[in-house]
Amino acid sequence: MADEILKIKDLVIQYVSDGEVTEAVNGIDLELKEGQTLGLVGETGAGKTTTALSVLNLVPKPQGRVVSGEVFLDGENVLEKSEREMEAIRGNKVSMIFQDPMSSLNPVMTVGEQIAEVVRIHDNVDEKTAMARAREMLETVGIPGERAGEYPHQFSGGMKQRVLIAIALACSPKLLLADEPTTALDVTIQAQVLELMRGLKKKFNMAMVMITHDFGIVAEVCDEVSVMYAGRIVEHGNLQDIFDNKRHPYTEGLFNSLPDINNRKSSLKPIKGLMPDPTNLPSGCPFHPRCDYVCEKCSKEMPPKTWINDTHYVRCWLYENTTESRLTEGE
Amino acid sequence: MYKYVIKRLLALIPVILGVIFIIYLILYLTPGDAVTTILGVNYTEEAAERVREELGLNQPFLVQFGTYVLNLCRLDFGNSYITGLPVIEQIAARFPATFILVFVSMALCTILSLPVGVQSAVKPNSFFSNFTSALSMIGIALPTFWLGLMLILWFSVGLGWLPSTGSLSVKGLILPSITLCASFMAGTMRTTRSSMLEALNQDYIRTAKAKGVAHKDVINKHALKNALLPVITVIGMNVGSQLGGSVLTETVFAFPGLGRLLMDGINTRDTPTVLGALVVMALCIGLCNLLVDIIFAFVDPRIKSQYSKGR
Amino acid sequence: MEETKKIITRKEILKQFKKKTQFQEILTRFLRNRLAIVGIVMFAIILLIAIFAPLLADYQTEALGMNPSERLQGPSMAHWFGTDEMGRDVFARVVHGARTSLSIGFIATLFSLLIGGALGAIAGYVGGWLDEVIMRVMDVMLCLPEMLLAIAIVAAFGTSTTNMVIAIGISRVPRFARIVRSSVLTVRGMEYVEAARAIGANSFTIVTRHVLMNCLAPIIVQISLIFASAILAISSLSFLGLGIQPPAPEWGNMLATGRQYMRGNSHLVLAPGLAIFFSIFSLNLLGDGLRDALDPRLKQ
Repeated sequence: MADEILKIKDLVIQYVSDGEVTEAVNGIDLELKEGQTLGLVGETGAGKTTTALSVLNLVPKPQGRVVSGEVFLDGENVLEKSEREMEAIRGNKVSMIFQDPMSSLNPVMTVGEQIAEVVRIHDNVDEKTAMARAREMLETVGIPGERAGEYPHQFSGGMKQRVLIAIALACSPKLLLADEPTTALDVTIQAQVLELMRGLKKKFNMAMVMITHDFGIVAEVCDEVSVMYAGRIVEHGNLQDIFDNKRHPYTEGLFNSLPDINNRKSSLKPIKGLMPDPTNLPSGCPFHPRCDYVCEKCSKEMPPKTWINDTHYVRCWLYENTTESRLTEGE
Repeated sequence: MYKYVIKRLLALIPVILGVIFIIYLILYLTPGDAVTTILGVNYTEEAAERVREELGLNQPFLVQFGTYVLNLCRLDFGNSYITGLPVIEQIAARFPATFILVFVSMALCTILSLPVGVQSAVKPNSFFSNFTSALSMIGIALPTFWLGLMLILWFSVGLGWLPSTGSLSVKGLILPSITLCASFMAGTMRTTRSSMLEALNQDYIRTAKAKGVAHKDVINKHALKNALLPVITVIGMNVGSQLGGSVLTETVFAFPGLGRLLMDGINTRDTPTVLGALVVMALCIGLCNLLVDIIFAFVDPRIKSQYSKGR
Repeated sequence: MEETKKIITRKEILKQFKKKTQFQEILTRFLRNRLAIVGIVMFAIILLIAIFAPLLADYQTEALGMNPSERLQGPSMAHWFGTDEMGRDVFARVVHGARTSLSIGFIATLFSLLIGGALGAIAGYVGGWLDEVIMRVMDVMLCLPEMLLAIAIVAAFGTSTTNMVIAIGISRVPRFARIVRSSVLTVRGMEYVEAARAIGANSFTIVTRHVLMNCLAPIIVQISLIFASAILAISSLSFLGLGIQPPAPEWGNMLATGRQYMRGNSHLVLAPGLAIFFSIFSLNLLGDGLRDALDPRLKQ
């Protein structure tokens, strides 16, 4: 248990706006061991970012509301902590990198100040030491330390993301939440940033949750994968389970939506339909209106977890009868 | 930085010249004749010609304007038609009062409306926020001079706490400055609120929170500094409108400032005085704009770095 | 049977999804805004009072007719807002003052809309040095507070209703000029104009049509706000003795004379002041409501 850095149990988060309730996260479970990387994959609006924000206890209030569930960070339930206790944890034990580096840095503070700030808050050091650490961190992410006195508008998008990584890692967190850190960047820069993150992850020996919709990135950096759809994890397993042994029709659909560079004649098979309206999710399995294998049961009940093997589970009625395998393996 | 200040200053000169030109043109077109103002209704053609000669009124418009601007550079605003004294003396006597009145009112307005605006943006749906928003709606619609009359009725006539005429004393400044700042407070508050709301929705606020920055620092350090730019602009623009409003306020409170001087000049058809008062007000507004530009450069690093590169 | 049923339901579904027209959408948004409704109702009442003022009180006998025996009386059933220093009925004067303020305010607003719109359109269409000159003049005018500019104009040309309309109108020209010019420029740069030009259509007609569509919303909003500021300016100038001259009833000059008698006769300054306040208040609410309804992105 002790080496579990993150454990989420039955988390339900809703957003309320204009009296309409959106179920952003709908009963998910997650576990992540120290030093491991989990990929959180799904379309926009699947609840990935909300899940990550709940770890920081930063689900936007008052619209967002954690209805039930527990989020254990290093054995402590962050949802029960006071705002002050959380301030000591954020940026220290757990950090987050956001999707859009262009707007995620404060335009009126130098990048050095912005890195030094997190050091000063958590390590209780004076201004000078913090600034020295900031320069050091800039070097670590591949930016010359003397640029610490410059402002964000003097940096390119990729450089800004490096600065944000430096901010996130300045206090050597045990867990890094990376919310599509490369989506807003050019392809060549993406690769550089990804490579940097992989190296730093090893160097700082931290766990990471990589939120993405890109299976290429998953293959590159992740140990485990959770596929999310409409606020639920529909399939979870290690890299091998998901890439070579995928079971859920949605996971299959995601893979089929990727172009195959080796076989250009094969046509793409996009998933039909659109993401359901989050204020009005379909009954039962939320994927059933778009599913090719839909059966009667699908629209009535949400399928439970069906374990394929020790590491791999799927929530789909197709595999209802394979439950025995889990029982035998579990004994 | 010096480069920036000088550049702004140079940009200001044509604007101020333009303003003076417009004012001069308007007053030049005045149908009445300066001669009647100076000599009264009964005058000989000879005397009139002498007056016109003396004042340069028989010269072409552009020459007159040029002479006026050149004289301005020597702080010579001409002589009053009525008293014959230099206008600059009258302005020097009246200017401090208006300056202090506008300054106190600006300070009051900023000190009160900034925290209120910030607070109502931090809790946008609270009772406090709704209450202050409603107050500002009312404040914007209140006619300055009527508010002044109401305050006199209440605090001077009714309660007898404060004098009904304004003067350069603490007690004498309270009612005029409240009157003057009321409608601007509403605008400043609204701008602060909306630009704070916008700043608080930015991604960098989320970054700051994720860094573990304490709530009050997120607001005072990260959000407020970004929200300040539009607020400074509005405060800067207020100075001009306050000078305009001071004419009304000074009339209501019989306050001995530039606004009164302007009104007296208009009532006695004393063109040099009217011109002088308006030009001084325009100069103040111009200098205020310059000040805003300079403050901008200190708050916004995008301007600062643009000019520090060449150092 | 089964088949037709299906078609009907699909049609019904489609009907639900059919987009409302833009106008309907704006109307719904406006009607949902409670403050805007308050504003429009309040303004409608003031407007009706102004239109039907002669029915409420006779101009010659009640608003102007002096009656020294009844001077400076407090509010009563006979005189709802009391009487002034010459025994005139304050209610009648406030009601007829509404006529003055609204009509002059409206003409002044229209005046500045026409001049400002024309200047802005010329600057936007023609561009080049003409644009430069017009906009520099507008910038310079914006440096001078509207109140001071209006005072200067009235002071120079003398106090008359026409001069006041000109003064108030001209001092607000830059606001309209800027809106129209920027929307001409926006539309000119839009891709569909480029596209239309590429297939040989007359860009002037296209631009004109779209400019009208494009700047209608901000202009409507601006009209209500400038109308409010014009009403305030009329009463301010009149209060200073530069606008409507007594004995004609106008809220500003009523305040100016009433203030000399306000000790013990607060009704003399209360009624006209509240009339100014409610006119401006209602127009501001209306303007804010229109802005939110016409362009929800602008909502704070």
